[in-house]
Amino acid sequence: MKRSQRGVWPYLFLTPAIVLFTLFLAVPIGYTVYLAMRRTKVSGLGLGRGARREVFVGFDNFAAALADAELWSGWLRVLGYGALVLVVMLGLALLFALLLDSARVRLARFSRIAIFLPYAVPGVAATLLWGFLYLPSLSPIRDVLEVDFLGATTVTYSMANVAVWGGVGFNMLVLYTTLRAIPRDLYEAARLDGASELQIALRVKIPILTPAIILTTVFSIIATIQVFTEPTTLRPLTNTISSTWSPLMKVYRDAFVTGDLYSAAATSIVIAAISLVLSFGFLRVVRNRAFMEG
Amino acid sequence: MRANRLGAALAVALTVTLASCGSSEPTESPEAAQTTAAAPQGPVKLTYWTWAPNMDKIVAVWNKANPDIQVTVSKQAGGDDAAAKFLTAAKAGNPPDLVQAEYQHLPSFIAADAVADLKAETASIKGEFTEGLWGLVTLGTESVYGIPQDSGPMMLFYRKDLFDKHGLKVPATWQEYGEAARQLRKKDPKAYLGTFSSKDPGSFTGLAQQAGAQWWSISGESWKVNIADEPTKKVADYWGGLVKEGVIDDMPYFTPEWNKALNDGKLLTWPSAIWAPGALATNAAKAEGKWAVAPLPQWNAGENFSGFWGGSSIAVSAKTPNRAAAAKFATWLNTDQAAIDLLVKEAAIYPAATKAQSALGEPPAYFANQPDFWQQAAAVSTGARGFTFGPNVGVTYNAFKDGFDKALQDGSPFSGAVQGMQDATVADMRKAGFTIAS
Amino acid sequence: MVTATASASHRRVRAGAGRLIGVVPTVLLLIGAIYCLFPVLWVMIAATKSPGELFSTGTLSLGTGFLDNIAELFAYRDGVFWLWAGNTLIYAGGGALLSTAVSAISGYALAKYRFPGRNAIFNLLIGGILVPAVVLAIPQYLLFSKIGLADSHWAVLLPQILHPYSIYLARIYAAAAVPDSLLEAGRIDGAGEWHLMSRVAMPLMVPGMVTIFLFQFVAIWNNFLLPFIMLGDDHKFPLTVGLYTLLAAGSNQPSLYNLILTGAFLSIIPLIALFLTMQRYWKTDLSSGALK
Repeated sequence: MKRSQRGVWPYLFLTPAIVLFTLFLAVPIGYTVYLAMRRTKVSGLGLGRGARREVFVGFDNFAAALADAELWSGWLRVLGYGALVLVVMLGLALLFALLLDSARVRLARFSRIAIFLPYAVPGVAATLLWGFLYLPSLSPIRDVLEVDFLGATTVTYSMANVAVWGGVGFNMLVLYTTLRAIPRDLYEAARLDGASELQIALRVKIPILTPAIILTTVFSIIATIQVFTEPTTLRPLTNTISSTWSPLMKVYRDAFVTGDLYSAAATSIVIAAISLVLSFGFLRVVRNRAFMEG
Repeated sequence: MRANRLGAALAVALTVTLASCGSSEPTESPEAAQTTAAAPQGPVKLTYWTWAPNMDKIVAVWNKANPDIQVTVSKQAGGDDAAAKFLTAAKAGNPPDLVQAEYQHLPSFIAADAVADLKAETASIKGEFTEGLWGLVTLGTESVYGIPQDSGPMMLFYRKDLFDKHGLKVPATWQEYGEAARQLRKKDPKAYLGTFSSKDPGSFTGLAQQAGAQWWSISGESWKVNIADEPTKKVADYWGGLVKEGVIDDMPYFTPEWNKALNDGKLLTWPSAIWAPGALATNAAKAEGKWAVAPLPQWNAGENFSGFWGGSSIAVSAKTPNRAAAAKFATWLNTDQAAIDLLVKEAAIYPAATKAQSALGEPPAYFANQPDFWQQAAAVSTGARGFTFGPNVGVTYNAFKDGFDKALQDGSPFSGAVQGMQDATVADMRKAGFTIAS
Repeated sequence: MVTATASASHRRVRAGAGRLIGVVPTVLLLIGAIYCLFPVLWVMIAATKSPGELFSTGTLSLGTGFLDNIAELFAYRDGVFWLWAGNTLIYAGGGALLSTAVSAISGYALAKYRFPGRNAIFNLLIGGILVPAVVLAIPQYLLFSKIGLADSHWAVLLPQILHPYSIYLARIYAAAAVPDSLLEAGRIDGAGEWHLMSRVAMPLMVPGMVTIFLFQFVAIWNNFLLPFIMLGDDHKFPLTVGLYTLLAAGSNQPSLYNLILTGAFLSIIPLIALFLTMQRYWKTDLSSGALK
């Protein structure tokens, strides 16, 4: 492409996005960093006017966040949970997308909307709903299956199930729409050569889908690191989930329950940094194929 | 375009923010300035955050009678969320003029300098409330930070029909309660006499108060924190023992499963507060007329002590330009006989004002078979004792949930969880810089 | 990447063989569909139950209170449910529309132009997804408060316009659906860049934009935390926050489970309707749209 005469246009087209980014992401993030370096200091009883001031504490909050053992065990829990969710959710999403795209399947429209439907259910409602299904005395599943869904070890699987249920439709749709964008004549040749649907899926479709799969993986990694709604909503129903089960729950607890906005800010920056490292690490491993584009 | 103007404004705002955040001086927000300027012209306009049901109807009565002070109700999600939201709004500089403040959250509001001292405005109504309740809004200091609205003295709610069926005696002491729990397990292995909820610090706080706990207190210019005191440990180990023995369940309150257990007669008692009929009516509609109420079991036979679970005051925001008007409305709402009648009828609360408590007649519909319901309540009320809450109840309550969750899970002693609450609370207060007397 | 150029006509090859082989994929999909539908079905059933039945009758047996629940919900606080539904529509509809426009233009610029800083801008915009919404909500609230816009419709609408994932999708869709040759031809004919974007590229990107719109609409419709923190006035609440006030009614007030479940059920219906209307756009796949 020549760029001479169209110099400013791409920048103009990107202006709204950049302005929004600056106002609603960059500035709040900057503010978060600012907050993370401060703390309130009270004196005496801490009651009444002037008893409380905000002071600058540098990197103290970050040091505290990094030294917090609870936070690190939270990371471990989330890592296990995340691995489970990623594999199952993306595996199913890919399977369903390929099935929907194959010529032979029946009731495709029904299945497509049915599988997407959970995405339309708000996370809190979805978890509440599964919570009802997990509770021993209310669950119709428990009538058949004698499992304690909210036990110390099972609760991770139960949460993963909620995440898979809610996320599979969205990822399926991303992959499916990408599949629909592939020109059909790419398959024609393979079909003429006598390849089966399965072979076409494995040899033609999946390679073409790879960049999209990588990207959905990256976004899913970030989403699972940020897991919050499922454990928070299930927590009142069971005594197996602590208030710091996931790192983001700790942020929420600090900011909203114990009123320590400053620690919350520091911890959230640590979370963002670790997300960055993990997702870039993943992209490194798969050699950055997702971002290479024509 | 809007976005661009907004951009410029935001950029300016950020600079201002960064420059001004260092001081805790309340920066005059543009709205506040406007309201002050506009005040002399029209009626005073007040916003009021609450979650009491039907409050709009009660406020409508006030608005009709007071054209110069118009109150707008904004119904919020209740409980801890409401407190967090109010504190955030106060920090940001645009809190409502009036806010419903649960007693345990009021000290955090005071510590954040978010609520006004109403000492002058409330001098005349002090006598309307018991000393115990008044202490909850003064923290034992000279200042007054809210006007009590409702209170939640604790009582024992029990399934009368099933008690009769199994030949159980209504327990007068906690020892008898434990005995009854054991007997019931033998008679009906599927049912429990009660459950210990690791999700409801408010309930545990009330039980500790009954036993005589004093978690926080103020002496001079320093705080005393004594959460792991003898009474509290006694209460904790009592319940811990019953749970470990397997005669008391460990299912949390207010879950769908708990509702079902109440409905199905799988839980025979609920040590709860005066507002329990409302919760029971909705969650266990099927069992209407089968429940009865008795005083909380005592630690020593013959005593008459209780604690508080829940209850709120109405506080006035420190930043409001209309403090006098707001205090006037809050006073009317909580001491005027007509207003209290409405509160009882529409919002289904148990009023904090002493004379209103004794004036209650008809029992709640769910307890129609117990005509002396309110007399019982009034009797219990006189023996209910509370304590001053500290400035970081959020930390304490969170430590309760995590600590008791863990104790239930790995079977460790409950008094360990109590010690955890004490340690977490003290550590947080020290970190913030509060002076603590040891 | 899927740099699909315009494809000619495509026909699905109907392999006349094996009905039997076709059964397996269908069955697999149906199992998936049942797994996904089961809990939704449960909400529908629960929404028919009166408060008394909710915790006393079998989980999968229909209740008798559906109409009562609806009547009670609509009558609750003089019909505030409708106000919440209207607000939700404004937030989700307006936000998704603006978001789609911004994403589509950005995606088009990033896919079809080469210019200094392209990758930097793209990575920066995408990087926004690394910061959790929980983290941003409070600073956003504090900043909106400073300019006096907190507790207004704008405070909920504006922060939800920019959505990194949508920009990424738009970039893919633009790369796939807008052929370079078409743009070059337009330029030779003397068409301006604005004209090319609005008259040539955007129409080609409609199917992709529909997907983005749908995603954003659902995301904003279901967002809880941002409006929860931003809004104090209950007349500006969206459904999620409004229904939450029924759930967390305070320690001494019972949760109105029957109204919440009915409300949750009713709030899913518009999303289903939207999905059904929009899904016809996927019949024509993205690349085939590129030719016309």
